Amino acid sequence: MKILVCIKQVCDSSETLVHDTDPPWVRPSPATVFRMNRFDEFALEEALLIGERFPGTEIHALSVGPSRVCTTIRKALEMGASHGIHLCIEKELYLSGEDTASIIAGYARDKGYDLILTGIMSEDTMHCQVGQYLGALLVLPCITSVISEEISPDDARVVVEREIESGRRQAFLVKMPVVLTIQSGINRPRYPSLSNVLRARSQDLETCEAEHLGSPAFRQKIAAIRYPDAGKKGTFIQGDSRQKARELLSILHEKSLLSWR
Amino acid sequence: MNRNIIIIGEHHEGTISPGTLELLDFSRALGSPFPEIILLGSDIFSLAENLAERTGCAVTLINGEHLNLYSAELYQKALLEVLRPRDERTLCIAFSHTSLGFDLAPALAHALQAPCISSVEDIEESSFVRSIFGGKLQSVVTPQNGPVVLTVLPGAFSPDRTPPEKSGHMRIVDVSVAPVSMIPQGERASEYRDSGLHDADVIVSAGRGIGKKENLSLISALASLFPRSALGASRAVCDLGWMEYRHQIGTTGQTVSPKLYIACGISGAIQHTSGMKNAQTIIAINSDPNAAIFSVSHYAIVEDLLSFIPVLMEEYTHPPG
Ligand SMILES: Cc1cc2nc3c(=O)[nH]c(=O)nc-3n(C[C@H](O)[C@H](O)[C@H](O)COP(=O)(O)OP(=O)(O)OC[C@H]3O[C@@H](n4cnc5c(N)ncnc54)[C@H](O)[C@@H]3O)c2cc1C
Ligand SMILES: Nc1ncnc2c1ncn2[C@@H]1O[C@H](COP(=O)(O)O)[C@@H](O)[C@H]1O
Repeated sequence: MKILVCIKQVCDSSETLVHDTDPPWVRPSPATVFRMNRFDEFALEEALLIGERFPGTEIHALSVGPSRVCTTIRKALEMGASHGIHLCIEKELYLSGEDTASIIAGYARDKGYDLILTGIMSEDTMHCQVGQYLGALLVLPCITSVISEEISPDDARVVVEREIESGRRQAFLVKMPVVLTIQSGINRPRYPSLSNVLRARSQDLETCEAEHLGSPAFRQKIAAIRYPDAGKKGTFIQGDSRQKARELLSILHEKSLLSWR
Repeated sequence: MNRNIIIIGEHHEGTISPGTLELLDFSRALGSPFPEIILLGSDIFSLAENLAERTGCAVTLINGEHLNLYSAELYQKALLEVLRPRDERTLCIAFSHTSLGFDLAPALAHALQAPCISSVEDIEESSFVRSIFGGKLQSVVTPQNGPVVLTVLPGAFSPDRTPPEKSGHMRIVDVSVAPVSMIPQGERASEYRDSGLHDADVIVSAGRGIGKKENLSLISALASLFPRSALGASRAVCDLGWMEYRHQIGTTGQTVSPKLYIACGISGAIQHTSGMKNAQTIIAINSDPNAAIFSVSHYAIVEDLLSFIPVLMEEYTHPPG
């Protein structure tokens, strides 16, 4: 089996980002620390678990972004992916879900993947779209918010459950190739093993220029980036920690939520 | 401005979802108080009729024998039978940002060659406001001209509506779509039983910020100060195996409205806050002064919970003077 896992590099904390106005977007600063999008750790782990069930499975980890994202692709190799792919964009620029998916689809179209896994959502742009667009662009079924999968490789059937509101679940029967967007909690992502860390160190990444892979439609643009309205915020309790504790206790007493000991 | 807005309604167990009514308010904010509502289902005629009466909106019921069970494939095919012929006049097709809305919207937008903007919270002229980076920043997004497909964040608009002067018209479009590549196998309830969260006056919840499972003892200690209390958790804490999923609060967990909710080390992702923001009093303890949880909290405490909770316990057991 051949599995493609889409992984995004996100910043660990948006505090360190610098705001740009032309065009409006955020750019990393030297203080910015990056990591793998948490939902994608679950997608990658699921691919690795499938690989353990079906020996001979190839697991390709792919990321779209500037050269900084290579560290996250390498992390995927350390976790156990067999091949790393970097779809390179030159600058720090905003991509809509559709734009990102059209670059990935441009690469994946003729590669014969049986399964394409993404996270359910990226923590930075929070689109919840890329997997669904991949399905549309590659004309494959896409199931989102997947919380369990069961594959019968002989007839390419997959039974998946997706999690919906209040923890309810919907089950579907699909045939590979299929796109699945993975919800957190489906598994417990592993830590890299020493042997994989060593292997990853010497492994080359495949690099493609994104501009050669399909032309994003750019149907939307960011007009502004800003902080949310601070006016809606409640009372910040002031003082050192002891003063804050006292103040909080007296608020709880006043509201009869707590009785004096 | 007279804009042609289409709302995709949702229903569950014979009732219209609150998010669908919120979409009416969203549409009003866009300048169209009586948008067209599309409902999909199998034999839900009286539900559709009733919706047209209650809202005064034109309701199109897409009726098909297989539409009783949701699948992206079926619903998309069915919607395109109705939507395709009138791309020209349509300005906006709006879903709620639910497991159905975010599932369908991108593929539908692709089929209509329209931009797709998800989890919209507000409107600014011809642009849409949405949170990014876990709610720490907002982006204002401008779609290209022509129709746009949106998902609107549940809770961002009001579900209340004044009764209309006259009932809307209801029409039925029969479709004969059937599953081909995605066969629905049915739906089942959550495995997770309620954990006393609904009976509790006070819920103390743990987030990833507690750092490790062992620190849950701090959260339990804090909860023990209150007589009718229960422990809650963010999804991250359950995913890590620190607490069971039955404690999870949020869109895919439990929705609670206790007298007091104390969020400890929870960042305040919208999927979490939508499950607790109706608590009467909300207190958040978080070391990050810009954490999104503070924007739904009545009282904000910027502190490391690992050192703050012990101090709080101490002050409670040994009050000064
Ligand atoms: C479709 C979908 C459904 C979802 N459903 C749910 C749901 O039902 N419920 C839910 O909770 N989530 C849900 N999520 C996940 C949600 O998006 C977030 O990922 C999750 O809520 C984050 O959990 P958290 O706040 O515990 O962790 P984080 O976001 O990692 O936040 C940890 C917080 O702790 C603070 N912190 C760290 N150390 C300390 C310290 N020592 N003292 C004080 N504060 C500290 C940090 O500043 C940070 O704000 C869903 C996501 C999707 C896509
Ligand atoms: N730049 C990217 N490179 C690789 N995968 C991505 C990228 N952006 C998004 N994805 C994938 O698409 C999923 C959903 O992202 P989004 O639609 O942006 O919320 C993520 O969890 C990733 O798996």
